[in-house]
Amino acid sequence: MIGNGSTRLLSRNFDVENLTNLEVALKHGAYEQLKRAVKMKPEEVTEIVKASGLRGHGGAGFSAGTKWGFIPKDKFPRYVTVNGDESEPGTCKDRLIFERDPHLLIEGALICAYAVQAERIYIYIRGEYFYPTRVVAEAVQQAYAKGFAGKNILNSGWSCSIHMHNGAGAYICGEETGLIESLEGKKGWPRLKPPFYPAAIGLWGQPTIVNNVETLAFVPRILEIGAEKFAGLGSPKNGGTALYSLSGNISRPGVYELPMGTPLMDLVNEYGGGIPNGRKLKAVIPGGSSSHILTAEECENLPLDFESVAARGSMLGSAAVMVIDETVSIPKLMHWMVRFYAHESCGQCTPCREGTDWLLRLSKRFLDGSARKRDIDDMWELADNIDGKTICALGAAVAWPTKSYLVKFRHEFEAACKN
Amino acid sequence: MPLLEIDGKPVETPAGMNLIEAARLLNVEIPHYCYHAGLTVVGSCRMCQVEVEISGRKSIAIACNTKAADGMKITTRSEVVHKLRQSVLEFYLQHHPLDCPICDDAGECDLQNYYMEHGLHDSRMPLAEKKHKHKVMDVGPNIVLDSERCVLCTRCVRFCREITGTGELGVFGHGRDAELLNVPGKILDNDYAGNVVDVCPVGALTDKDFRFKRRVWYMKRTASICTGCSRGCNIFVDWETDRRYKDPQRRIQRLKPRYNRLVNEWWMCDQGRYGYHSVDEANRLLSPKTKSQSNGHALSVDEVITKIAARVESAIEKQGPGSVAVIASASSSNEDLFLLNRLFIDKLKVQNIDVTFGFEAKGKEDELLKKSDLAPNRRGALELQVKPWGGEGQGGDDLIAAAIEGEFEVVIVVRHDLSTAMSEKDFAKLRRNTGYIAYLSSHENGLTEVADDVVPIAMWAEREATYTNFQGRVQKTARPFDPAGLAIPEWEVWKKFGEIAGVELNFSDVRDVFNAIGMHFESFKGINWESVGSGGRMLNGTPEPTYKRIQTSTPLTAY
Repeated sequence: MIGNGSTRLLSRNFDVENLTNLEVALKHGAYEQLKRAVKMKPEEVTEIVKASGLRGHGGAGFSAGTKWGFIPKDKFPRYVTVNGDESEPGTCKDRLIFERDPHLLIEGALICAYAVQAERIYIYIRGEYFYPTRVVAEAVQQAYAKGFAGKNILNSGWSCSIHMHNGAGAYICGEETGLIESLEGKKGWPRLKPPFYPAAIGLWGQPTIVNNVETLAFVPRILEIGAEKFAGLGSPKNGGTALYSLSGNISRPGVYELPMGTPLMDLVNEYGGGIPNGRKLKAVIPGGSSSHILTAEECENLPLDFESVAARGSMLGSAAVMVIDETVSIPKLMHWMVRFYAHESCGQCTPCREGTDWLLRLSKRFLDGSARKRDIDDMWELADNIDGKTICALGAAVAWPTKSYLVKFRHEFEAACKN
Repeated sequence: MPLLEIDGKPVETPAGMNLIEAARLLNVEIPHYCYHAGLTVVGSCRMCQVEVEISGRKSIAIACNTKAADGMKITTRSEVVHKLRQSVLEFYLQHHPLDCPICDDAGECDLQNYYMEHGLHDSRMPLAEKKHKHKVMDVGPNIVLDSERCVLCTRCVRFCREITGTGELGVFGHGRDAELLNVPGKILDNDYAGNVVDVCPVGALTDKDFRFKRRVWYMKRTASICTGCSRGCNIFVDWETDRRYKDPQRRIQRLKPRYNRLVNEWWMCDQGRYGYHSVDEANRLLSPKTKSQSNGHALSVDEVITKIAARVESAIEKQGPGSVAVIASASSSNEDLFLLNRLFIDKLKVQNIDVTFGFEAKGKEDELLKKSDLAPNRRGALELQVKPWGGEGQGGDDLIAAAIEGEFEVVIVVRHDLSTAMSEKDFAKLRRNTGYIAYLSSHENGLTEVADDVVPIAMWAEREATYTNFQGRVQKTARPFDPAGLAIPEWEVWKKFGEIAGVELNFSDVRDVFNAIGMHFESFKGINWESVGSGGRMLNGTPEPTYKRIQTSTPLTAY
């Protein structure tokens, strides 16, 4: 289901029939902004994106324009990598872009590639996304046929090829350096940082921009409506709109495009139709499974933008809002969450490899009634020992929610203990 | 040069140095498993976390991947750091058996050491939940893997990818199932495979040649050099002679590479590593042998040398120095060759002498350490002018051919087993045509069977000596234990010979001999035993080679 937000930038044409067909897409303005962009200086394009306040929608929320600006001036070749791994539980927005408006993404990626003068784009798609892969692959072929990709694009003198790559279904390949390793044909183990930030040393040691699908899809719209108007749509420091993936105990789950800073409870009640069967709200996970849980009280008056959610002790992440009603057992929820991360731990660094597995075994005890009260403290301590001590953010992705569940719903864990 | 503080002490480090190395400058050890100075930094073990304060802001960082910077304040011993180390150890020890009493790495295991220093916690993990992995797996002809003890530091994986470029090992599976294994279809059988045991910080990879032979605390360690080829890798000899009932034929228990940046860095080849077996081989020559009458008693070494000297003297007296040939060896030490030169070339005027022959075995040369020239002191022989360059005598293969044809009355052979070096026919001809053959050998072989007089000589591990490697670096071996049987160092043979022949070679010990070399040869001038030190010293006029990392030219990426 596609959202019915009042301001639809990305999803504007999602309902158009056959939009994946280039002829139809062209009628709806596809590649118009690319035509404009290639007439500008590459730096001008970057400046517009910077001015728009566009932030990374993959989870980190880092300024996209600033990231593009990190590319070293004298190092070639350069690459753009579209991160379509989308494997954070609760997140399902990139898939819609792939399926409904692939040309928007391709156009955005091409504009980005032009801005950083990249010669090759890699579209990295989650392995399980069979249908989206097919749709995007066809769209790429159509773009080539019309001269939007390939040699001397739109007679600008600039050439850029587009390559498709399917992941093998590992969560960690959504982490930008894990994704790069995977693209290079290696095991998806994240790279040690610093100093190797992809913008400086990325794919095959060359400057590489890794941006999320949604982030890049916004780029043509920014050029279309102007940076100022885009910035004005959201809340301060959070330009434009976002695709909110709404799931859980909600009447109308789906993806909703709304301005950044839309109040959380408006999303839940107004757009999502509230919690079914008259049940009460217990909690919300605001930004994918790796974000801290928010209690029902904490959800009140919470604008959904990066700063406001962070101020409340959680994060907007990929804007995957998961609604939890009073019937859900938090210990069970935690077990499912930990099970996911323990399974997806790549095994490279010790705290994550050993810690997530241990957390999993402890969390299981709350389900079968064998837990003791000290297990609650042990779990908290274990999560704390993982948090911030790992190569990539997967450690924090399991530690943050675990800690927040244990702190905010300790009574439920205590009730699940046998002594 | 960044100036920083580590645990309150100031230290100036070279630019780009990481905190583990910077702390080492102050003798502070930051615990670590995955970091190895010779391999790429992966930062995966997380054991080296320290507190870093930069302009008033404190944070936690891994020391291996943090470069020393001006004004940094590093804390390696605090409650916070102790907790961090304890937590990492607890993660490791969930599944890793601390079975030091039965693990062959006990006493050399960093998990054991760090646990004693930073861990000492009670296990929160029930025994039944501990995971089990493969035990006692052959990963190669010399190496055994115990996966359960592996801490997945990937040092061995990186060694095989970066240093040898062969990539036989990898980490398979992910998360809790991650396990070190052979890459399918590959066995760990490269020429440097033994090094993976050295880099393994725990008891996961052990050496079949050594495992369960000795406990490390029984062994003594002596710094020496390998004499397996002309590189002269710096090594440690780990030896033990008190418990000979365990393995009477084995005094050296193992060899380990000793770091020398310009010679072998942290590594050594397997050929050198396992070459020590010859020291205590069953066919060691333990006493002198003679073909002449002995009046019913076994001859002493001195008596045999006296006989050799007498025979050489009489041959020279009757037929001149041209009747004597010396088939010398570039495997002899500088001291041996110096006295050989003084005795035969200087004093006895023997011209038919050389150290280089076509029959000498050539080794496999590679771009890492191995040199094709297996003689450890070819350069020394050249510098000490053992071949009387410009003289009238014959050298090399001409010398051998002449000997076979019976041109010499006396042939002295040092170390070479001519019975395998030449055809049976030639060997028989040599014996038939030569009036007298004296042989200095460390092992029994075909030549010891037929030579007139044989003197048992000490091997490299039984004597102090210096060798000049192919770079021109003079390095020395140590003498952890006495020579086998009645063997004596080669230079002592020439010294005794000299005494009998009335040639003044008055040296009380090997150091005297070495210190005297400088008085005769310009390239050794001013170099004395002490100045050679543990890292060796270049010959005069030979510049230190420029540093080049020992690594394959086609390394594989980190994983």
